Amino acid sequence: MKKLSVITSIILMVGIIGYVSSCAPSAKITAKTGAQIWGENCIRCHNPASPSTFSDVQWDVATLHMQIRANLTPEEATKVKEFLQAANN
Amino acid sequence: MKNLWIIMPVLLMSLGTYAQDSLSTYSRQAAQNNISLKPGDSRFMLRGYYHTGLDAVTSEGETDYNFAGGTIAPILMYKQSDRLFFEAEFEGAFEDGEFEWGLEYADVAYVLNNYMTVRAGKFLLPFGTFMEKLHPAWINRLSTRPLGFGHDGIAPTTDVGVELRGAFHLGDVKLNYQAYVINGPQLKDGSEEPDEAGMLMFGYMADNNNDKAVGGRLGFFPFSSSALEIGLSALSGKVGDKGSRFADVRANLYAIDFSLVKNLSFMKSMVDIKGQYNYSQIGNANYKVPEDTTDLFYDFTNTSNSYYAQVSIRPSFVSNEFISNLELVGRYSSMDTPEGSLWEQSPTQLAIGLNYWIDWRTVIKLGYQTTDGLGDHDSPEPITQDMFYIHWAMGF
Repeated sequence: MKKLSVITSIILMVGIIGYVSSCAPSAKITAKTGAQIWGENCIRCHNPASPSTFSDVQWDVATLHMQIRANLTPEEATKVKEFLQAANN
Repeated sequence: MKNLWIIMPVLLMSLGTYAQDSLSTYSRQAAQNNISLKPGDSRFMLRGYYHTGLDAVTSEGETDYNFAGGTIAPILMYKQSDRLFFEAEFEGAFEDGEFEWGLEYADVAYVLNNYMTVRAGKFLLPFGTFMEKLHPAWINRLSTRPLGFGHDGIAPTTDVGVELRGAFHLGDVKLNYQAYVINGPQLKDGSEEPDEAGMLMFGYMADNNNDKAVGGRLGFFPFSSSALEIGLSALSGKVGDKGSRFADVRANLYAIDFSLVKNLSFMKSMVDIKGQYNYSQIGNANYKVPEDTTDLFYDFTNTSNSYYAQVSIRPSFVSNEFISNLELVGRYSSMDTPEGSLWEQSPTQLAIGLNYWIDWRTVIKLGYQTTDGLGDHDSPEPITQDMFYIHWAMGF
């Protein structure tokens, strides 16, 4: 019985991953710029930081931190990082 | 001696001028070489937060004034690669006149693919959003936590284990998830603190039984703007000590959280509405009547709940800089712990505040909070407690 539930869970998980992988974000989502994602997501918890707050390397660290903590997708985090680093120069 | 008072300032001024001159020279050279002077060229970051202030707490007609500020929370972050990340938060605080360090969390994360990141270690539990994302002093719009969170709260805080988390889009909709296996909360059986028999303890490093607790959260952004998020959380596991008569006592915890952050263009303001409902159900057990020598036991239906709703509004888009930095916040919270337990309480709390943001992570908070209802378990009598405070919080 226990084996059956483990196998069912694995099949379910693989199925969900397969389904999610086959779904794509809408054009509206993929067209979002880094600035837009930065403006929409940071403020959900705290005031958005100015790009000049950190160096490019520090933004590299901070955006990975936020990707994990704030549940950004890797694509969203990369766009935000590129925006902050570009605006920082 | 008199000469020294004259010489020292002149010497310091000379050194200051020299240092400034050297720095200017370096700045020019750096600019010429196109080198960024901003700090930090390694993938190691030290951040954190701190707050200090004055509290005036009135209870039973007496007012106590107290300067607060004995707690600091440094956070270390290290990015090993695009996939590997480490973070740790320490909490330094005065306990009984002595300064002590505690580990709030320390975990390592690895990005497996676009949809999955695995974390291991001691981490903030994604049970709702308050403890994981909103509790730091520079983020929390008020200086206090809602009822149900923190000391003697019913919502879990941190634990040790493994977590899988990620986010993905399905069309316009975004979903995020966290699923974890942890050592789990522990049941207070009353042997050490009889008045707290039946309560749960959170944030302990060691497991008290072999049954691991499992839990998770599912967050849902129905609109493409990410303005609205609704989350559902659950946590379940056995909480009694292995081998004890509480070994089979199980706890099931649930939470619903809500967040709406919206630009109200007609008011030139940002409005932020947040809320969380927590429900805790712990299996029935018999606890020993304190100070009784005849082995008398008592029981109660061990369910608790708490909730809070908070609204803050900031006129961020008005042209006057002073007004644009102001923020008005109000919060209502409530908690009910089990009837018949020795920690029975049912307070409600109203908190209002006026904040001034010096910059994006530094804020002066002026607030008033009133708490009514059956008091904490140390004084299970109807209480009214009023609190005024002014706090200065900053993230760094």
